[in-house]
Amino acid sequence: MTPTAPELLIGNFMTLIEPSPPESAGEFMAGKIGVTGMISLLLAQEMEKGAAVRVAENRAIRGLLAEAAEGGWAPAQTAALNTLARGEDGDLTLTALDRDNAALRTALIALQAAVEEAANAAGKAREKRIVRLLRENADARRLDLPPMPAR
Amino acid sequence: MTALAMTSEPMGLEGQIAVYLSGLWKKPVAIENLSRIPGGASRQTYRFDAVMGGQRRGLILRRDPVDSLIDTDRRIEYLAYQSFHPLGVPTPEPLVLDEDGGVLERPFFMMSRIDGGKAASPFTVAPYAPHEAEIGNQFFSILGKIAAADPATLPISQAARTPMLETCWSTELDHWERELDKDELHPNPIGRAAVRRLRRHPPKPAQKMSVVHGDYRSGNFMHDGEGRILAILDWEMAHIGDPLEDLGWAIDPLWSHFDPTRVGGLLPREEAIAVWEASSDLKADPDALAWWELFNSFKGLVIWISAAKSFRDGGGVDPVLGFTGLYCTRRHDQILAQKLEALLESAP
Repeated sequence: MTPTAPELLIGNFMTLIEPSPPESAGEFMAGKIGVTGMISLLLAQEMEKGAAVRVAENRAIRGLLAEAAEGGWAPAQTAALNTLARGEDGDLTLTALDRDNAALRTALIALQAAVEEAANAAGKAREKRIVRLLRENADARRLDLPPMPAR
Repeated sequence: MTALAMTSEPMGLEGQIAVYLSGLWKKPVAIENLSRIPGGASRQTYRFDAVMGGQRRGLILRRDPVDSLIDTDRRIEYLAYQSFHPLGVPTPEPLVLDEDGGVLERPFFMMSRIDGGKAASPFTVAPYAPHEAEIGNQFFSILGKIAAADPATLPISQAARTPMLETCWSTELDHWERELDKDELHPNPIGRAAVRRLRRHPPKPAQKMSVVHGDYRSGNFMHDGEGRILAILDWEMAHIGDPLEDLGWAIDPLWSHFDPTRVGGLLPREEAIAVWEASSDLKADPDALAWWELFNSFKGLVIWISAAKSFRDGGGVDPVLGFTGLYCTRRHDQILAQKLEALLESAP
């Protein structure tokens, strides 16, 4: 898991408040402060969209797991897939959403590995479907830096 | 300024360096202008002047931290500098390695300092303008020169293991998969899919064994701002392996400075590969290079996942670990997923 917003914000505070030895007070500390600024820029985006992105990702994975269970993509996993697919995100804190996401991702990894074993056309189509979902999820989670000129 | 035996107070790093160099050079040495600088993920880096008998010498100290982003062997890093400095690859001159640490408490090495240059942050826009082409030609030409060298004849072979041509890919993949197993805090389906894909479609055997810098990219070299590369830095992940490994890392989209038309923010992709081929006298087989590109995006992802774990384990006090653990993990997740999707779509 990427560091959480509270961890990063507390870390920024610690960076700024912790006394540095004299030899680290110049260029090195200026660099560290610059990085704390970049973390703030990223967290502004994460706080705005983080919950919505996780809810959407969990919903999309559940949908795919349901489709896989119904279609018999990985017969040995059908019961587990059905159970996970029926879940929902009741607690919308990032911590709770991440906890559910971990379980869903674990099931998705096992499903994808099983699907990759099938060399037929249906297997290839399912593999593409899963990879497209992974790419869409990664696109949604992306955080952007503003264009910063070199110094 | 701290000179040898000037004070009975507990020694700071300045005093420790003075004591060490005075013992090494058998004359009193004073240390001036000691300053920690950003540089590399697995060592603490300091610049300073050593003054002895009225003569001033600019030096760099690379010391092991208490904890680091990547566990690397400082002896191999030192031997990499020893290997390529005499060959004319622009690098600082390595001076002394102390694996015990002695008065500096942790293992370290020192090397000459190259002044007057700057290293670009990978997250800035157009850092080499208007000298992208000049610097790009040097950057990929130097990488070709590193690839062309025979590791068996170089000091680095004293410490770095030489893998087999046929299996060097799995040596690297096994290593980074183990790192993922060790440091993954949240299931990563993209990384896992990449590992399975890489194992199902191994690359051709390497053309030769080469020294692999391990982190050869924009940001890890100094340039003078006028189109000349002054030094290739940060050899802390150097090893022996397939020369395409470094090429794949150098052209990874994370290092493009947000310019999709130039790899490393320097040259169009095909031009960069052509410069590398001409300099190395090797071929960048497209399928093999595609494997190493996918591998490198996976390797990058694992490095950032490890950074996230180190950030948490270290109490959150290193913002570089926090930043890379967040931003770079998300970027390499996306880059890797795009590559996996493209490979599937292009498959017959």
